Amino acid sequence: MSVETKESDIIVRVAEVMIEELKLEDVTPTSFEPDIDLVDEIGIDSMDLATVALVLQDHYGIRFDEDDYPTLTTVRKIAAYIAARLAS
Amino acid sequence: MTVPNLKDVQETCRAPQRHWKFADILADPSIHARWEKVRQYFFLRESTYDMSCRCNIRCEGCYYFEGAKQYTSENRDPEAWRQLMQAEKDRGVTFVVLAGAEPALVPDLCKVCFEEMPLGTIATNGLIHIPETIGYRIHISVWGNDATSQHIRGAADMLIRQIDNYRNDPRAVFVYTFTPTNIDEAREVTEILSRQGAKITFNMFSAPVGYDGPLKHTPASLAKVRETMIDLLASYPEQVLFSNYNAVVHTHQLGLDALFACPYPRRNPSQNIGLGRSFRQYRTDLSWDRDASCCVPDTDCSDCRHYAAGSAIVTSKLFRHATDPETFRAWLDYVDTYLAVWVTGYEKGANLYTGVTEPPCCAP
Repeated sequence: MSVETKESDIIVRVAEVMIEELKLEDVTPTSFEPDIDLVDEIGIDSMDLATVALVLQDHYGIRFDEDDYPTLTTVRKIAAYIAARLAS
Repeated sequence: MTVPNLKDVQETCRAPQRHWKFADILADPSIHARWEKVRQYFFLRESTYDMSCRCNIRCEGCYYFEGAKQYTSENRDPEAWRQLMQAEKDRGVTFVVLAGAEPALVPDLCKVCFEEMPLGTIATNGLIHIPETIGYRIHISVWGNDATSQHIRGAADMLIRQIDNYRNDPRAVFVYTFTPTNIDEAREVTEILSRQGAKITFNMFSAPVGYDGPLKHTPASLAKVRETMIDLLASYPEQVLFSNYNAVVHTHQLGLDALFACPYPRRNPSQNIGLGRSFRQYRTDLSWDRDASCCVPDTDCSDCRHYAAGSAIVTSKLFRHATDPETFRAWLDYVDTYLAVWVTGYEKGANLYTGVTEPPCCAP
């Protein structure tokens, strides 16, 4: 299975996983503001972020470092992290 | 049920044999169902509150009467507590733990907290009944049989009085704290409580900073407690709220901090997310100190195996346990236990993992 490698496509995929896993309402993958602070403005917690990271690991076939995912507090940061892992 | 051969348990870090996708782990229907059950409670955000500087008994090794917090003044104004709870809600707290020194001495303040924040637990010695109008979980501390309690806590007939106060009370969970000297009494106490239909869980004595007395655990006592916990869980599965994995992580020679990198503010400088960001431990004057913030302040972190600490520390390590079905089952049992012990109305399911597995890896 091929996966998105362009950061803009990854952003949409991350938003999609976020919406699906956290059951977010009134937002779509394309309307999800990638720089919104997930902790301050959406109220997600470490367990939510861990869940999202596990699903994204599966999808992209990469490994998130346990120490890294708590710092990935926007969709854009998560997408950049994934893009870097895919490129390495 | 056969008690696992504990000699086979190695006190070493363990790496998964193969790489499992999270989706493949969840493909097991029993795992998936339990995951969906526990994840509904991921909204819980905890903080803890000392309610009074006073206690009606004085126990050897009590962490409350260590450090500076015991000397703070008491704010006994219900309106101040109401405003605190409202402010806590505003910053995202959804679960309160009312603890030191003895919350049952200030029921009016506990009631205000309950009116504002419906989910929570009160830690009490159980000698003073807390009114039913306060619908929190009630954790009643038990430190051995009545002879031992008389010796360690200076109170007579403790278990009888605790049972009388909370007989058939669905809020109550009796918390048996294992010390090196009361391990053999645990069966007797568990039998008594089970006959009363009471729920029981287990705690480990965790030494306050500087404590080097007889209650501090040794490698031999840790091993014996592990065997006893697992044996009692097998003997009383309907009454004992616990899992084999609880027994393993709370009796490991490495403490919780060394095993899992404690995320409480006292040990975690990060304020990005999780406990490091939201957790506070309030003193009786409603002040709090980030540098001292954890659920058992003034406990020696290297000796901390406390059940309240583990409930947050182990539960928060979802990512680390999602490595293979066996490890994830063990973690789900732990989280299921934590929720049953702490959250009113949450019913524990049967444990998914009946073996004994080591924690997935140690902290860096």
